[in-house]
Amino acid sequence: MDLTPSQEAPTPVGASRPFWQGARAALSTPGLVLFGSFTGFGAMTHDFGWPIWIAALSTILIWAAPAQLVLAGALASGAGIAASSLAVTISAVRLLPMVVSILPVLRSDRTSLGARLLAAHYVAVTAWFEGLRRTPALERESRMPFFLGLANGLVLGSTIATAAGHAAAGLLPAALSIGLLGLTPIYFLLSLERGAWGLGERLAIGLGLVLAPLIATVTPRFDLLWTGIIGGTIAFLIDKAARRRRSAQ
Amino acid sequence: MTTPDVGFLLLAVVAAFFANELWRVLGAVLSARLNEDGAVFAWVRMVATALVAGLVAKLVLSPSGGFALAPLWLRLGSAAAGIAAYAVGRRSLALGVATAEIALIAGMVALGA
Repeated sequence: MDLTPSQEAPTPVGASRPFWQGARAALSTPGLVLFGSFTGFGAMTHDFGWPIWIAALSTILIWAAPAQLVLAGALASGAGIAASSLAVTISAVRLLPMVVSILPVLRSDRTSLGARLLAAHYVAVTAWFEGLRRTPALERESRMPFFLGLANGLVLGSTIATAAGHAAAGLLPAALSIGLLGLTPIYFLLSLERGAWGLGERLAIGLGLVLAPLIATVTPRFDLLWTGIIGGTIAFLIDKAARRRRSAQ
Repeated sequence: MTTPDVGFLLLAVVAAFFANELWRVLGAVLSARLNEDGAVFAWVRMVATALVAGLVAKLVLSPSGGFALAPLWLRLGSAAAGIAAYAVGRRSLALGVATAEIALIAGMVALGA
């Protein structure tokens, strides 16, 4: 039998090794913290009365913990499809600059738009952070498969974690299940700070924390939208004034 | 709390998928042309950051599920412990999250949960 022609095709063989290396990298510390936080999200959806498969599906499809949490929170406070989608889309704006900053690192000359869209789908805080940290050390052809392996490993682990958290929420002793529910807010707050760019975004974090409870007393259904717009705009203006003063000196 | 309708939940998740994916698709399409240092971009990032921070505050101050069984002082205290550990521990996410968790669970155990 003549096997040489099929053995000469270099791409699949060349891509599978970095893919699996990436998948193994999903089991690093940031990956484990992420899985923990999805366990918390799963426990929370149990609390909100979601079926387990809806919770797992939201992780596979949406694949962005802030968006999923915004969705769950909005639905729990009585928002409809339109209002919850609007809140989700505002929380997801952060993904755009993340995609824009990681794609030039991942792509090579031969990367198609389809492959770029696929890579973009997997961009979320942890995958983006770990992808940007680890791939620049690799050869250009290995970066995309490594990232896809990493991201798929993270999605798989997070989906299992979501289902496990949902299942565990009713069974664990109260102290532990309350601990799971408390995991998500602190993970979010710290990863926001970890990924923040400059003074403006740190101000935006502080303003969001302070404004949300105040605005919730005025307009409970759209409180997150208004918190984002008002807090973000104030942070932007202060940041701009600070820059101007610095460049004037 | 009433149990939400499954069809409604499924629709909400699928709608949220499109609402979320929109920005990834835009990012992939525009990645060659967009100015990452532009003012609009910076503003948009800050609005999104404030929104997610607002969500964190809401989850801690007025949780709607079982997290409400932990008293307010414990919710705030455990978060503060996590932030302090994160700040002291060279901005380590794992350290901050683990500290907050231990404080919260220990607090609940001490309260007899």
